[in-house]
Amino acid sequence: MVVDLLQVREQIKALGESAVVRHQRLKEMRELALMMLRNPALELERLQKKALLIMHNFDPNLRCALPVSVGGEFLSVGSSYPSPKFFPNATILAVDGSQIPPDRHAEVIFGMINLGAIELDTTSAEAPNVSINSRLFYDEELYTESGFITDSRLALIRDLSERQRLIELAVNAKYPLISLTDGPLELWGAREGDLGSDFNKSLELYIDILRKLFTLNVVVAGYVDKPGASLVVRLLEIALIEEGKIKDIKNYYPLRGLVDIDLFRPFLGPGERSTVFALQFKTASQYRDELALHFFYLNVGGINQPWLARIEIPAWVAKDNVMLDLLHAVLIHQCNIMGPRPYPYLLHRAHEAAVVSIQEKEQITQMISMELRNRGLAVGKISHKQSGKNLGGRTRYNGGKLLP
Amino acid sequence: MTIISIGRLLRAGNAGFVVGCRVTQLDAPIFGAMVQADLEQDYRIYGLVYDIHIDDDGLVRQLVIAEDVDENVIADNRFNRNVPLEISILAIGYCQNGRLSHLLPPRPPLSLDSIYLCDQEELCKFTNAGHFGYFRHILRAENLPIEELLAAHLQQAQLAHVRYGDPTWIERASQELITLLRDNYPLLMNLLGSLRDVMITA
Repeated sequence: MVVDLLQVREQIKALGESAVVRHQRLKEMRELALMMLRNPALELERLQKKALLIMHNFDPNLRCALPVSVGGEFLSVGSSYPSPKFFPNATILAVDGSQIPPDRHAEVIFGMINLGAIELDTTSAEAPNVSINSRLFYDEELYTESGFITDSRLALIRDLSERQRLIELAVNAKYPLISLTDGPLELWGAREGDLGSDFNKSLELYIDILRKLFTLNVVVAGYVDKPGASLVVRLLEIALIEEGKIKDIKNYYPLRGLVDIDLFRPFLGPGERSTVFALQFKTASQYRDELALHFFYLNVGGINQPWLARIEIPAWVAKDNVMLDLLHAVLIHQCNIMGPRPYPYLLHRAHEAAVVSIQEKEQITQMISMELRNRGLAVGKISHKQSGKNLGGRTRYNGGKLLP
Repeated sequence: MTIISIGRLLRAGNAGFVVGCRVTQLDAPIFGAMVQADLEQDYRIYGLVYDIHIDDDGLVRQLVIAEDVDENVIADNRFNRNVPLEISILAIGYCQNGRLSHLLPPRPPLSLDSIYLCDQEELCKFTNAGHFGYFRHILRAENLPIEELLAAHLQQAQLAHVRYGDPTWIERASQELITLLRDNYPLLMNLLGSLRDVMITA
């Protein structure tokens, strides 16, 4: 079957008509939010207390930014900080992972986590060190306490393995050391039901890993490209809600549709970062003291081509201006390497090392099948459903030759 | 004899083959160099390097338009990344059971066979065997820069022959080429032009 393009066309027309209205509405919201953000009269201490009150009494799942105070004084939420002018002399460590989830339709059932790590000394002209760690999940390893391993469980193991690999490499690295991972620093995963206990165990392990990285004095950062979060926007919504109505906060979204980068894009110049915010989320209390998660926005784009990323950092980095400046300088330098599509070069390389191609997956399948056959064991067959999906597309008759 | 490996076989046919290698090995093969593939005991294939090319990929295309590329990024792309680097070789003969032949090899080399640079002694032995029969393969390869390939080959072969006491080899080789190309005036003229350059630099 093909898509009914006539039906879709009507819907696209309607989409276009509402887009104009939406655009105007977003523009007005952005102007209001920007005015609030840059208003020096915004009472940040009161706002922080209000947000914490909401989180404790009305919405424990509240996810938003919180203003940060240094020495009892709150950092202005509408400030921007230029890129440091020095060349970052440091070691940069980037780790990324990919996974092959078990496929019950395949002839052999296995899973895999592949980690790519790259370590670069910015003071050296030598090629960085690249390492790959591949772990196969087979037989009993495909089961957890709650049953057959799920994609999200495998992703959780991958995230933990990435951080574990960071520690292994950080122990023998040259310092100062900056570690980069792709995505948020917060550990993601299902927290409810049977998967909840898995997640809680993983979270404990993760907190332990973060603590070790703190002890090693590593400048830890998670890089979120093209972030779609509304953390600061939600903070402004909290500022907007009247005290008497805060019990209805779960249904109060006057700035819905606006995302944080809409706010920061107009006033963060090339290379500039925003002020640092604390991150409020459901399990934030698990990340205590020096491990508390923070973030800032960074414009890694060029003149007239702003491109914003969210950088998540733990409190020990957020509170240390030397670390913060070093990280800022490293990220701008790394992104500049990639030219017109800025993204940290080493994170791209770590991803390149980690990614498992379809051909490689096929090769692993064949290797397992061959091993089993060599030992006289039967190998399963691909499901008929998958077999049907693998059938070739339609071909044309052309003088007795089949066209590809 | 120093054996210099230039890489391993990627794909092959009777008339030629393609070798893949690391950038670190790239200083060994040069355009026109004679190479050999030792397939099994008493069976060796000879060829001439007629093209060395480096493919790009998405990342390299993006990096080339960045303002500055750090030394360590260049090194990373050259030494760590799987950027394809291919050397194309024209088959020109073989040696089986100790007998050299300027015919096409009966079987091509196989995937991942090692390919080596021929040393000067081997080069002299092959080019002195028979009566320049291997020139046929070069002159037939219309899609290749025939004059340049011949000139590069003659230059390298001449250096080897001079070293091994046969400075007149190039005259015999040139005479043979003139005879073979007597009916192809444009190619002959281009070739003579190239040979003049060989004489100047040799």
